[in-house]
Amino acid sequence: MSIKVGIMSFAHLHADSYAHCLKSHPNAELVGIADHDPARAQAKAQQFETKAFDSYESLLASEAQAVIVCSENVHHARLVQMAAAAGKHILCEKPLMTRLEDGRAMLAAAQGAGVYLFTAFPCRFSPAFQQMKRMLDADAIGELLALRGTNRGSNPGGWFNDPELAGGGAMIDHTVHVADLIRLLTGLEIEEVYAETGNNMFHGAFDDTAMLTMTLQNGVFATLDSSWSRPKTFPTWGDVTLAAVGTRGIIEMDMFAQYLVHYDDRAGRIKQVFWGDNIDYLMVDEFVRVVAGAERQTLATGEDGYKAAAVALAGYESVRRGEPLRL
Amino acid sequence: MAMTRVGIVGLGTMGRQHMDAYRQMPDVEVVAVYDHHPERAQAFAQEYGVRVAQSLDELLQQTEIVDICTPTYRHAEYALPAVEAGNSVVCGKPLGRTLEDCERIVEAVKEHRTPFMPAHVLRFFPEYRTAHQLVKSGALGAVAAVRMRRGGDFPRTKSDWYADFNKSGGVILDLIIHDFDWLLWTLGAVERVYAKALTFRNLPYLDYTLVTLKFKNGAVAHIEGTWCDPGGFKVNFEICGDSGMLEYDSTRQVALQIAARAEGGAGGGVQVPESPAVQNPYYLELRHFVDCVQRRLDPEITVEDGYNAVRLALAVIESAQTGRVITL
Repeated sequence: MSIKVGIMSFAHLHADSYAHCLKSHPNAELVGIADHDPARAQAKAQQFETKAFDSYESLLASEAQAVIVCSENVHHARLVQMAAAAGKHILCEKPLMTRLEDGRAMLAAAQGAGVYLFTAFPCRFSPAFQQMKRMLDADAIGELLALRGTNRGSNPGGWFNDPELAGGGAMIDHTVHVADLIRLLTGLEIEEVYAETGNNMFHGAFDDTAMLTMTLQNGVFATLDSSWSRPKTFPTWGDVTLAAVGTRGIIEMDMFAQYLVHYDDRAGRIKQVFWGDNIDYLMVDEFVRVVAGAERQTLATGEDGYKAAAVALAGYESVRRGEPLRL
Repeated sequence: MAMTRVGIVGLGTMGRQHMDAYRQMPDVEVVAVYDHHPERAQAFAQEYGVRVAQSLDELLQQTEIVDICTPTYRHAEYALPAVEAGNSVVCGKPLGRTLEDCERIVEAVKEHRTPFMPAHVLRFFPEYRTAHQLVKSGALGAVAAVRMRRGGDFPRTKSDWYADFNKSGGVILDLIIHDFDWLLWTLGAVERVYAKALTFRNLPYLDYTLVTLKFKNGAVAHIEGTWCDPGGFKVNFEICGDSGMLEYDSTRQVALQIAARAEGGAGGGVQVPESPAVQNPYYLELRHFVDCVQRRLDPEITVEDGYNAVRLALAVIESAQTGRVITL
């Protein structure tokens, strides 16, 4: 029997990918779309051959067993709490929240309603990352000393450049993936955060450049570049890299370095054509299986989403104070 | 042709590199060399057919240009008498191990008005020089984010001075001072620094740092320095501006590479990448200084540049040691 899933808002561009994943999944059914922009709900429903609901309430009153929330960041809290109250299992786009109190309310709502709340961290499913974790766990480079990560991208524009809707700029958009990978890789919590931000790339009222330094529980330190620093001519959207430095060697992971280089005269540009595994699909697949009753294995919980978003929020607080901040 | 007389002090790896460069200059003669290990000086002199000076004073008297290639902690010890004696001086980077050493050198150069150049050779590496020129030309627009990486495995020498923080200053002062100088040269003054490092963890033959710099012009730079990478020496950089981005990776842009099996077919050989050029950066750097001395021009790297790079590196070390943000 198919698991019935609805999508609440297509504000975040990842909704398209998740919709494709649901459409191609043998045991999932995309039962409908709701969006605060009714025209977008109609257009996406047509594109994905599903039903457009005229409100979030009506989607939540439908036969959907689960929802994926892809609204603007600041609306995650409200939509997740609505879905939890309606008894739907939830996969929420990252960052989970833009304020700590929102995150706590979301976790409490899911727990109170007895529904799953997961955070959309597909990078956890990357075979390159999982192999890196196996290497580290097998002591391939000795004791872990330091980590160096990047999640650079291009500026998505639109509401991502409005801190009222996004909760910040590049730092809140791109810190959480690698912060989550670091927690998963090490099994350690991030204890201290220092961040520098800048806006020389787009000169707007939001950060387009962000460099975080994190200290983990056992003194392991890490940096993360979450800048929107890829130029318009860059051959792909960005990257996720993570390097581990140990007492006996190093491991360098470049998560999406599985591509062909396409010199495309028709498009007038050079493109990277990715041929690696679709990690969005691997994540949506586990979500569907867990809703159907399987045990969670790799999916990030709401708690994981909260902890990763708390790192980005601490980064902004560190920028305001001009000093490192203990979490 | 009037020959410019050069003396080299410190006859290790860098002394040899510089000797090789001077030998290609028809108007330059290395007339004396000095090392505080007399056996090493003798072996060097025999190999290159140059004379050993019995003391620094003797070398200063015989030469116009003194080239100091000693370990960092001895720079001031040799640079100060050379400047005071009126010789022109090219001094290895970092300018000194301490800010006090650097201040004394700056004061001496000001007082005696001798030509002086800290050997920040990275400025003569064509990839870094071209990148500097492109940034300065405005090709990238306003610079927003910079990433630089430098390093390989821990440098091991007979005297093992790199492993002594009080002598070398570790990976921050010895290695990524190259990148600090390039950044100061290219982006201007730094506002504040924050860094983490393994330098003070007492891990034998491991040193590593991740540094964040905020520049007065708003740019943010991240510098990785490693003496933890058994994969061999490599560098890369990426400069992102509002109109474009430059990237360089020494593992990707490789002009020549050899991989040969050992004689008899036993075992695999190591792959050695090369970037062949008509003149290497050490030659270009020293040729520039010799030209400046001969034509009475100011070298493009000033003693203050050397001071500022050390000052920045020491602020980074202080941040890594204390966990605090250091405002310059």
